[in-house]
Amino acid sequence: MSEKLVVTGMGVISGLGKGKDATLAALLAEKSAVGAIKYIQTMHNDIPVSEVPFSDSEMKQMLNIPEEQLITRTPLMGIVAAQEAIQQAKLSENKPKRIAFINGTTVGGMEKSEQFYIDFLENDSHSQYIAAHDCGAGTDDIADYFGMFDVTTTISTACSSAINALIIGANLIKAGKVDAAVVGGTECLSKFHLNGFNTLMILDREVCKPFSQNRAGLNLGEGAAYLVLEKANDATQRGVTPLCELSGYANFCDAFHQTATSPNGQGPFLAMQGALQDAGLLPKDIDYISAHGTGTGNNDETESIAITRVFGEQTPDFSSTKAFTGHTTSAAGSVESVISILALQNNFVPANLNFAERIENITIQPNTKTKKKQMSHIMNNSFGFGGNDSSCIFSKIQ
Amino acid sequence: MVAMTLLVYSQKFNNMEIFIQSAAQISIQNPLCEDWFENPIIPTLPYNRSIEPDYKQFISPIASRRMGKLIKRAIATSLSALKQAEIQELDAIITGTGLGCVENTEKFLSAMVKEGEEFLQPTFFMQSTHNTISSQVALFLKCNGYNCTYSHRGTSFESALSDAFIQMKLGKIKNALVSGQDEMTPDYFNMLGKIGYWKNEISTDILRNSNTNGSFAGECSAAITLATEPKEQSLCKLQDIELLYKPSKERMQQAITNLMEQANISSIDAIMLGLSGDKKNDDIYKEFAQTFFADKPICWYKNIFGESFTAPSFGVYTAATCLKRGIVPQHLCYNGQNIQDIRTILVYNHFQNKDHSLILLSKC
Repeated sequence: MSEKLVVTGMGVISGLGKGKDATLAALLAEKSAVGAIKYIQTMHNDIPVSEVPFSDSEMKQMLNIPEEQLITRTPLMGIVAAQEAIQQAKLSENKPKRIAFINGTTVGGMEKSEQFYIDFLENDSHSQYIAAHDCGAGTDDIADYFGMFDVTTTISTACSSAINALIIGANLIKAGKVDAAVVGGTECLSKFHLNGFNTLMILDREVCKPFSQNRAGLNLGEGAAYLVLEKANDATQRGVTPLCELSGYANFCDAFHQTATSPNGQGPFLAMQGALQDAGLLPKDIDYISAHGTGTGNNDETESIAITRVFGEQTPDFSSTKAFTGHTTSAAGSVESVISILALQNNFVPANLNFAERIENITIQPNTKTKKKQMSHIMNNSFGFGGNDSSCIFSKIQ
Repeated sequence: MVAMTLLVYSQKFNNMEIFIQSAAQISIQNPLCEDWFENPIIPTLPYNRSIEPDYKQFISPIASRRMGKLIKRAIATSLSALKQAEIQELDAIITGTGLGCVENTEKFLSAMVKEGEEFLQPTFFMQSTHNTISSQVALFLKCNGYNCTYSHRGTSFESALSDAFIQMKLGKIKNALVSGQDEMTPDYFNMLGKIGYWKNEISTDILRNSNTNGSFAGECSAAITLATEPKEQSLCKLQDIELLYKPSKERMQQAITNLMEQANISSIDAIMLGLSGDKKNDDIYKEFAQTFFADKPICWYKNIFGESFTAPSFGVYTAATCLKRGIVPQHLCYNGQNIQDIRTILVYNHFQNKDHSLILLSKC
């Protein structure tokens, strides 16, 4: 049993606020964070989003980072979330020998690049932000803030980035390359991807309605979340109480289309099935699926088909929490991992807000109200552009 | 019972051998061949684009017209490497890219910044994410296997290679296609020039005896395949790979010792370094060589492939090719004469003295 991987810390920031407690309170109160745009400068101010309710300056103050220090919003949110996870896992007090930091992000420093792009090309007034543009730059900023990591890398697989970061971290520990890993993702909103998703015509002008026949697209959100992973034995030796077990995970590729999922949900099917196999669990063992459920026509239909293919008659309670947080893209996998673990610890099924009616030709429907339920195993899904499909399972410590 | 299972597992882990079965490149050298080994093109300009092959043998002209340069290169090098390796069922596609699909990103960004948010088109956005490369290769190959993309500055490729290596060691996959992919657009070249990436003038002498910062730009598409069974065409063994963030000297020494012990190798024949004429980075390489391998020959590759975020993939590619041929040609030797009967090479790379990687390769 010593090979068992456990989660010993977690931290989150999203539209729901800073920290696990704020997140749990909002979930139980069924309080959506999707609303009018506050920070991002765009002509599309009729598009609802879920922004982290702190300015960059406010986050710098929280973190004792000097106002003049050059750091973009994505790593700032990342540091806030990682700090909570690191403190809970007592990584500073009782440091594991080698710690990895595996970070998922896709937009990187784009929120500054899009402001200063003309300057980058034509003058030298903001050239200091050129080096902050790539995805890895923010990862290094986060790693340097804590100064405790022995390995760092950045995953960039769009909306499945954070679960993939979890997979990489878990494998690094299993292979004996590191003793613990801080894994997850961070992504701030940018005018770039707000416009990108808008051109795809998949942004709902109201709060999103995942898995509902009348769904009209997704809401973008921003956020960051991280988990601390280590072997159960190491956690015991460090005197840290595990929150849960990471019992299985898998990633597969749909290999169908750059932005659409195959009609039979092959990639999502393989990811869920793979995670079950990895965990040595059967479909009937899963008590709740935290679905990807973006609210787009294509995702929710194909995910439902894939869930039915995997679980059949035994489809457990499932819901999408995207109407709470918006779609936090590269952070979604870890934000929703934190939500899954909160549900596991507190024995409840989060509500799928705004559900009106079952999707045509689909036989399953989500859990629409917060519901008390004894939980043992929870599955969390994240699917990204390019058919990048990942799934993981968290289990109560037996 | 549990203890026995673990024992079997760890033995399996240690005994499994991993081979670089094949490799293919599109770069500023002649594409999809090994001309660079005997007759390298010696760069003379700070900015160099890749030499494009004829893509017709890989991609239909209709499909080709819809693809950006980087995607075409990725598909061509991937197909070429897979064909050489005779891999039928591919388990994983893992890509490292420092900047992703820059050309498409710039097209969307530039339109948004210059013409406003009103009339933007989705195509360039859809193709702008970093994982477009891995997913387009998967789509082309109809490969449902593991698919991942690393974008971690100058160690993006090594992160991808490490992922494949670890999953093979854990028995999760039997083979993998790993590649480094980066394009350098004129605008990005100019932007990086503003923060000291490039020299104005280039020659082998300038690069070798540089007292100034900056190097010269190349582009990168280098694909390799890994498998657990050797074949006649196998290039070398991939013994181990280690990623290190801001390591102390002691940690670096320990990592090198571990790599050699794990591989049961007592001596290394040569070290392959990312020397590029950029003084502040070269000083770190020279200190590494001086501290840990004072008497060993030093090899380089950026002198013929140029600098890019995934240039270290050329380090692995050239080292693997040299091991297959048993010799390091003169133009890849940074100091001293060409090296005969080469059996082990340690590829060492660092990015701005933050992220470091060690890759140990040996003759099959």
